[in-house]
Amino acid sequence: MRARLAPAARGALPFAALVAAWAAVSRAGVLPAIFLPSPGEVAATAAALLRDGSLWVDIGASLGRMLVGIAASVPCAVGLGVVVGLHRRLAAVLEPVAGFFNALSGIAWLPLAVTWFGLGWASVTFIMFNTIFFLVFFNTLAGVRAVPRLFEQAVRTLGGGRRHVILQVLIPGAMPNIVTGIRLSIGFGWRALIAAEMIATSTGLGFLIFNAQNFHQTDTILVGIITIGALWLLTDRFLLQPLERWTVERWGLVAP
Amino acid sequence: MTLRERLAAWGLLLGGALAAWTLAAAALPVPAYVLPSPAAVLQALGDLVTKGILPFYVLASLRRLVTAALVAAAVGVPLGLLLGMSRRVAEFVHPVLNFFQSVSGIAWLPLMLVWFGFGERTILVAINYTVLFPVVFNALLGVRSVPPLYASALRTLGASRWRIARDVLIPGALPNIATGLRLGLAYGWRALIAAEMLVGAHGLGFMIFSAQSFHLTARIVLGMSVIGALWVLLDYFVLRPLEEATIARWGLVQR
Repeated sequence: MRARLAPAARGALPFAALVAAWAAVSRAGVLPAIFLPSPGEVAATAAALLRDGSLWVDIGASLGRMLVGIAASVPCAVGLGVVVGLHRRLAAVLEPVAGFFNALSGIAWLPLAVTWFGLGWASVTFIMFNTIFFLVFFNTLAGVRAVPRLFEQAVRTLGGGRRHVILQVLIPGAMPNIVTGIRLSIGFGWRALIAAEMIATSTGLGFLIFNAQNFHQTDTILVGIITIGALWLLTDRFLLQPLERWTVERWGLVAP
Repeated sequence: MTLRERLAAWGLLLGGALAAWTLAAAALPVPAYVLPSPAAVLQALGDLVTKGILPFYVLASLRRLVTAALVAAAVGVPLGLLLGMSRRVAEFVHPVLNFFQSVSGIAWLPLMLVWFGFGERTILVAINYTVLFPVVFNALLGVRSVPPLYASALRTLGASRWRIARDVLIPGALPNIATGLRLGLAYGWRALIAAEMLVGAHGLGFMIFSAQSFHLTARIVLGMSVIGALWVLLDYFVLRPLEEATIARWGLVQR
């Protein structure tokens, strides 16, 4: 019986159980409604926020910042990662440095960003750039370094020049790492964005939930949390995971 | 490249960066609070250490992280293993765990503030939540990733369910558990810094956030360096060796 359920239904079933449990808890009145609104109230709030367009504005603001952050940092990080990765000595020195900045990713940049750029989109972009850049740079570097030298030597033996080695061995060989780095950095970036929006902006999903907290609007907070989780799951499931799988299949190396 | 060469290169890099930074701080026509000199950061370090503020904040942040790590190991690992033992249960809870894993603790923070107020309790709940879910999720994945062949082999030899769990499923899941702990703590460390900023309790996140209000930029740079350095030390000397040792000892190579 269960085996015949469509995968989508099987994925939705646990969430239905979760919502049912939530409804039961809120109906039993264990917690006051201000602490835990019922699923019905949260759905009504979501509908109201969608109708007056404010939820769309916040979703648009968050996704827009995410895209700006990605567009600004990923090309720089991949380019620089490949260039540094080509110089093995330089790469050995710079890898731990990138690791240090990796550890600093995200919200730790916020106080400095606010000092330099004030509150607003420039601060958020600065935080996003630093978070995404170093993770992608680090992974690109590691990817280029992990390509077995045997492949490089094989191309050279066959008369390939430096250009061939770079374009046909090192970059394709590093692709799986690069894409994994991008996926990871977007995960960290999304978390950093939500935290940054709470402090440094007046739009976006992070601001929505933090501002609602000032007025004890737990229904709005829950709408925001569910939106944040759902957006990430959809992006990961339908964009990043297929991209990663495809890259690994297309360019993945099995070390000899 | 030998270690000595590498150390020399790092020394050179660090020296060059410090020199460029000092020069920029001295030459650029910006106020000191926009770009404090390395000397000012060192002074802030001496100042905060002698006053005992920095060690106190470092200990506060580390204590929270270690608490969360212990809770995740004591509660999250057994829970994940247990849920992973049955294929049906694992399939059922998988999407829910994935959802909770991907909503960071920071997104729950506004709700936790309503529930637990501004204080230590909210910070602890936020960091425990952030560390726990990746650990449970990965422990479950670990059990499920053990090839069924091994369990079948033991069953053919007459092993009980408990024997199979003890000798096959749990050891087979250990590499995933180590990876989950490392990832959970990486997310947790960042969430902790953010929670300390927003809740305003003592700790490194609070230190850099409150310094911003007073334009004490040297203190911000100092705090960031400590946050980065602590994580690098933790990752290089504790988490990574743990993960590598587990994979070397219990990792499965499928043939």
